[in-house]
Amino acid sequence: MLEVKNLKKSFQSGDATVHAVGGVSFKVLNGQFASIVGTSGSGKSTLLSLLGALDKPTSGSVQVDDRDITSLRDHALTTYRCKSIGFVFQGYNLVPNLTALENVMLPLEFAKLPKAKRVARATELLEQVGFQADQMQRKPGKLSGGQQQRVAIARALANKPKLILADEPTGNLDSQTGKMIFDLLHNLAKSENTTIIAVTHDLSIAGKTDVTFRLQDGKLKER
Amino acid sequence: MNVITRGIRNAFRNTIRTVSIVTILGLSIGLSLAMLVAHQAVGEKINSVKASVGNTVSISPAGARGFEGGGNALTADQLSKVKSQAHVVSLTESLGDRLTTSDTNLQSAVDAGSLGQRFAQRSGQSMGGPGGGPPALSQDSTSNSGGTTTTFTPPVTVNGTTDPTNLTSSGPGGGGSFTLKSGKVFSSSSTEDVALLGSTLATKNNLKVGSTFTAYNTTITVAGIFDAGNDFSNNQVIMPLAAVQTLSAQPGAITSATAKVDSITNVSSVTSAVKSTLGSATDVTNAADESKNTIAPLENIQTISLYSLIGAVAAGAVIILLTMIMIVRERRREIGVLKAIGAGNGKVVGQFMVEATTLTVLGAFIGIALGVVAGNPITKLLVDNSSNSQTIQGGPGRGGRGFGFVRDNVSSIHAAVGWDIILYGFAAAVLIAVVGSALASFAITKIRPAEVMRTE
Repeated sequence: MLEVKNLKKSFQSGDATVHAVGGVSFKVLNGQFASIVGTSGSGKSTLLSLLGALDKPTSGSVQVDDRDITSLRDHALTTYRCKSIGFVFQGYNLVPNLTALENVMLPLEFAKLPKAKRVARATELLEQVGFQADQMQRKPGKLSGGQQQRVAIARALANKPKLILADEPTGNLDSQTGKMIFDLLHNLAKSENTTIIAVTHDLSIAGKTDVTFRLQDGKLKER
Repeated sequence: MNVITRGIRNAFRNTIRTVSIVTILGLSIGLSLAMLVAHQAVGEKINSVKASVGNTVSISPAGARGFEGGGNALTADQLSKVKSQAHVVSLTESLGDRLTTSDTNLQSAVDAGSLGQRFAQRSGQSMGGPGGGPPALSQDSTSNSGGTTTTFTPPVTVNGTTDPTNLTSSGPGGGGSFTLKSGKVFSSSSTEDVALLGSTLATKNNLKVGSTFTAYNTTITVAGIFDAGNDFSNNQVIMPLAAVQTLSAQPGAITSATAKVDSITNVSSVTSAVKSTLGSATDVTNAADESKNTIAPLENIQTISLYSLIGAVAAGAVIILLTMIMIVRERRREIGVLKAIGAGNGKVVGQFMVEATTLTVLGAFIGIALGVVAGNPITKLLVDNSSNSQTIQGGPGRGGRGFGFVRDNVSSIHAAVGWDIILYGFAAAVLIAVVGSALASFAITKIRPAEVMRTE
């Protein structure tokens, strides 16, 4: 279970202090698909980076299975990000000079899996997202947006994380491809019993998730 | 795929940039190697010149040099003052003399040739004939209808010495290296009528160790035969100093002395001290002072090459530093992604250091090839430029051994690229890569994974 307690994050911008996230508290149960909606600048991405241990909060806590990740040191945070969290970004963020297969193998390498197991796991995941063998050897520049996002989803699932954080996963895709990607993410997460928290503008997608949080000016307004 | 293979592949992500950086680094490393080659070659030459000059000071009567000039023989008192000088470790004393056909049964092994005839005439010696006085040196006279024709025969030189192995060029020894071919060397304090013969002189007179010959109306026994490496010195007789002083009726006479100094760095100060002590009665010289003219341009080249070497290595480090900073800035988001999906700082930094090392090693291959090809020409160019400027400064009339000596020494430098230089090249490349990517690595550690979210 993911439990967020009174989470705050402030930035200094010149002389002014910006409260990007101002005292957010919520819970997401294991295996749930949660969405966070809100306008641009409402603090969605900042909240996601705090949940993913990409940034440290000013105060508050993020507990994953009763473990407070905000108190972890750098090395433990790296391990946590590697093994417990998968990220899916709006811009895919694949490494451009690596093939689809190599991109999926990256988090497995960071988790110190032997090469044979890395290849087997990455191939399995890419097959699950609909890739043929020849497509796996293509670099991101030779793949469509939908294909790149499928590689990104496979990469996020590589180390069988407990939590997947998706930042506008369908934001760069047309509606049909976006729906396909959403369904793929949903189905894979269910089959792997993974919790998903997705930031989205798309209310039609938000409406299909198990739980939706609305963020405004850094605070949860309604559920 | 791991950190190393990813780093190597990343080095080729942008072909144009890779080619440009590798070429510039290659030029930088090549220049570094060429300067290192020049620095080493010139350093070896300086050591060689210093070693060839030796750490000796020559003392001769004022106005005398070998058998030229005049002056009075050195005295025991003068020599004891030389011995008492600080840093003087030993003193070799010698008395030079010449044996004419009337003094010895030895036949000279050197033909007079046109030079010998001219020297004899120019030295004021009569060559016989009408009005001519008696010849001072060995000559064969024949009469014909036009008068007497005299053929000059070069004399045999006798060197009475306390150190028979020391063939100093300023004394009667005539220079060269002493190599005993047979027999044995007499002791420095010997008074026996024994002699060491130069190899050509011994051959000319069919003499071997144990043979005898006549000089000063005395029978002299051949104790050994030596090779000095040149015909002039091989036409001489080396005898105990005391024996020559007695036989030539010059008791206590010394025509030259060589003081050995404890270190080459003290040669100049000892020379000054001896000059000051003995005053105008003697000529005191050393080869070290003359060698300064030779070494000065070499030291200039060494300094130039050292600074150029440092500059080229620093330029290489700056090139790779700026390149890596540019690459890190360019891939800021990618670094954030790597960290977000579980890469530690060590993995990311390692990947970038492998990339920097790949670029520099490629540059090193080009640089080493350039260094091998250009090392010797660049050294010669530096030497030529330096020696030309030295000629202009020194001018042709400065005396001593002159610039011809300097130029001969300087221009004979050969710069070779050995395995040690190549290893230095690779070591420099790795050093450049490590130093050059250090700041970029620091920048990488400061990139937070959250950066990738903010730029989204």
